[in-house]
Order: sequence, then C-alpha cells, then structure tokens
Amino acid sequence: MRPLTELETKTFFEKLAKYIGRNITHLIDRGDETYCFRLHRDRVYYVSESVMRKATSVGRDQLISLGICFGKFTKTGKFRMHVTCLDYIAQYAKHKVWIKPNGEMPFLYGNHVVKAHIGRVTEDTPEHQGVIIYSMTDVPLGFGVTARSTSDTRKMEPTAIVVFHQADIGEYLRQEDTLF
Amino acid sequence: MDVSEVLAAHKQKFKSVSVEGKIIPLEFDLGLLTAYDQNPVDEAALKKNKDEYLHELSRDNAQLLFNEIFQLQTISDDNGVMAMLPNPTTLLPREKPLPKPKPETRWEKFAKAKGIVNRKKERMVYDDNSGEYKPRWGYKGINDDGSKDWIIEVPAGANPMEDQYEARREAKKERIERNDKRHQRNLEEAAVATKMDQKAVNKGDRPNMDNVRSLKRKEIENQILISKNSTASAGKFDTAIKGDLKPKGIKRQFEPNVAADLSKEKAGNMSILDRVVGKNGEDLVNVRKAIKATKARR
Repeated sequence: MRPLTELETKTFFEKLAKYIGRNITHLIDRGDETYCFRLHRDRVYYVSESVMRKATSVGRDQLISLGICFGKFTKTGKFRMHVTCLDYIAQYAKHKVWIKPNGEMPFLYGNHVVKAHIGRVTEDTPEHQGVIIYSMTDVPLGFGVTARSTSDTRKMEPTAIVVFHQADIGEYLRQEDTLF
Repeated sequence: MDVSEVLAAHKQKFKSVSVEGKIIPLEFDLGLLTAYDQNPVDEAALKKNKDEYLHELSRDNAQLLFNEIFQLQTISDDNGVMAMLPNPTTLLPREKPLPKPKPETRWEKFAKAKGIVNRKKERMVYDDNSGEYKPRWGYKGINDDGSKDWIIEVPAGANPMEDQYEARREAKKERIERNDKRHQRNLEEAAVATKMDQKAVNKGDRPNMDNVRSLKRKEIENQILISKNSTASAGKFDTAIKGDLKPKGIKRQFEPNVAADLSKEKAGNMSILDRVVGKNGEDLVNVRKAIKATKARR
C-alpha cells in the first residue's frame, strides 16, 4: 500500500473526470473525515484516514483489500474503473442515462445500450462522454460512454448503440473474485 | 572631317555610365564582385510595373559596380586587360564549430608549468667528421648514438668481456620502449579527458591513471552485465558465481504512506486536479445549450 505517484494520480483523475468532472474535489475534500487514495497491487482504493492507518499494520501479502476499490491500473499504465466505485460517481455524475425496464437485463449482462432501451437522457450530452446509467426508478446500474451526442441520437435507428458498456452491477456476480 | 556628330549619334544609342538618384551610396566588396544596395525600394513603382522596375534597378546597380571595377589597377597580357581585384572584405560565418582544444600530454603540461618553449632548430647540421651537412635525426642522421664509433672505451666498473656496442643498442631499445609506453598513456588519458566532465577538464583537472582505470573498469563491468543478460533465459537460469556482479536497478521513491497529516497530500491532489480539469473547472456557460436556446427563441 502506498500513495499514488504524480503520474498515476494524473491518469486516474483524467479517467474519473470523464464521469464527474470537477466534482472530484468533493471526494478529496470531504466534510466528515479525511479520505485518501491508496495504491495496493495496482488497484486504487478510496480509504478514510483511520482505516488506512489501521491497515498499515497488515502485511503487504496479507492485505487483500481496504476501503472502496475505484479501479485498477493495467499493465500498460492505463486506468480501468471498477463498478465498485459506482456509488461515489453516481452521486456526482454530470451526465445520466435512464433505461427502460426491458433494457435493464441486457445491460446488466454486459451489453451496450441500444436506442430502443433508452428512457431518458441528460440534455446536451456530448459524444464520448462518460455517463452513469440508471433504471427508471433511479437505481444506478452502471456506467458507460456515449457513442453519439444527444442531438445525433434522434436520427438513429432503434437498434443502434447509444451508450458503450463500461461497467454494470452484474459484475458483482460475474467478476466476484477480481473486483475488489 | 568632323566626326563629332557621328560619335554623338553613336553615344545616343547607349545609356549614361553615371547613375543618379542613389540616396545611400552603394557598398562594394570588389573581391567578391558584389555591390550592396541599401536604398529603400520604391513601392509605388514596383507595384506599377514590377519587371521594368527591377530591370532598371539591377542595370543601375550593375553599372555602379562596373564603374568601380574600372577604377581598379589593371594589367594587360595576351588575354586582354584585367583588373586586379582586392581581397574580399565580407566576412562569412564559419561553417563548422571551432575545434575543441586537444587534451595536453604530460610533457606539454610540464613544459607549460616550467615555462619551457619549443624553439625551432634546423633540420640539417654540419657533421665535423664527414664535413657534410646531415639530418639532425632519422635516416643517415648524426644521432646514431655512437653505434658507428669504431672503438668504445670500457666504462669503469663494467665487465670487460661485455659487448659495449650491444649494450648501447639495448639501452636505445629500452628508451624507445619507455617512450612508447608514455605515448600510450597519453593517448589513454586523452581518451578519458574527452569523456570526463568538461567543466572539470576546463578547470585544469587532468585525468590520471586512477580515473583511466576506473573508467575502463566501469566499461568492462557494463559489458559483463550485458553479456550476462544475453543468454536465452536473459540470465535467469545461469549458474550463479560467487562474488559476481549484480545489476543495479533504479530505486523508486514514494511519498510516505502515513504522513503526520494528510493535508499535504490533499493539496498535491488538488493541484493535479486543477491541471487535469482546468483551474475554473468546466466553462461557466454551456455553449451548446446557449446556442440551442437562442435558436429556439427565434
């Protein structure tokens, strides 16, 4: 376990900013307790200071996980977000997509979101923008990246992909052992 | 017969050799057959009739250059009359950088410190024995170390049976060998000096045999490490040799995990965030939305 280097922080924030933009401030600077990001076995964890201090007494090999896993660094140095961080980024999401009940299942099985399944979209979402996907009852289901801007989707066919799948809560079952 | 009219008519066909209207006189570099005209270009005339204006200008300047050439001293021979051109005055920049000063040899350094100056001596010297001029050294030179003496006195305390000619030859061989060694040492030190920190060399630090050896050692160590990695398994399954070199990796340094307070880390994260997202975050005005709204109003 160690703090992130400057380069790692930069790549991490760049990915995170795609979803929540400047709201990363609220993750770093919280009212209740000091939270920090820690790297352990290529994974980035969002931990409160007290938990982090306690975790220092656990050996590197013995420490499985701590706090909330936000994602991991790939071997090529890119950052990949895990669905475990959904609760945090859903709070501060800038752009959202709501999907109809008949589209929930296909999405939770790891498929992209097609136009026919879309219930509502945040107005003026640009192309390739990170979005949070909600069910119509406002339950966050995962996140993805828009394939087209909102205005462009109007002209598209119902079967066209509108949001590329990035992560969904079905992964809690499918990738149970590597997720945390 | 009056030919003045004919001459005048003939003269009419050519332009005058005197050129007027130059505010700044031209600069000439006759060595390069060049004239520099620094007068401003008449823009109006240039725009009006470009070709004609340029033609006129170059004719005038060429005329001035020729006037200047005709004032030079001339010589005439079978090929005709020729002007003697002065040396060029225009300085051209050097194509290549100045050569770096060669590293001094040990003797050069010593001579400098002692103030010994190399004085030129004539190549040929008068030889009293033969009554001829002979080279100071080298082939058929006078410097034969007495090997041509027809008789040599045995020095006091020396073995009378020893061949003194042989002894002289031996001594000469030895001197040559010693000088060769010194030459080699100078070459090695010069090679190191070019690799050494240029600042240290400029300060007057000379490479000595110690850092010649350490540099060689470093080079050899590097080669050993490279060759160790050059096996099929990249050195992984080689039999370990006791006291063998271990490759030194790069030590990474991280911030302390549990600092006294995390405010410093937080501030660092904030500054990185500023760089990633921009100081003011997103634009205050959503331009797309604004355009759409104004369009809808119309």
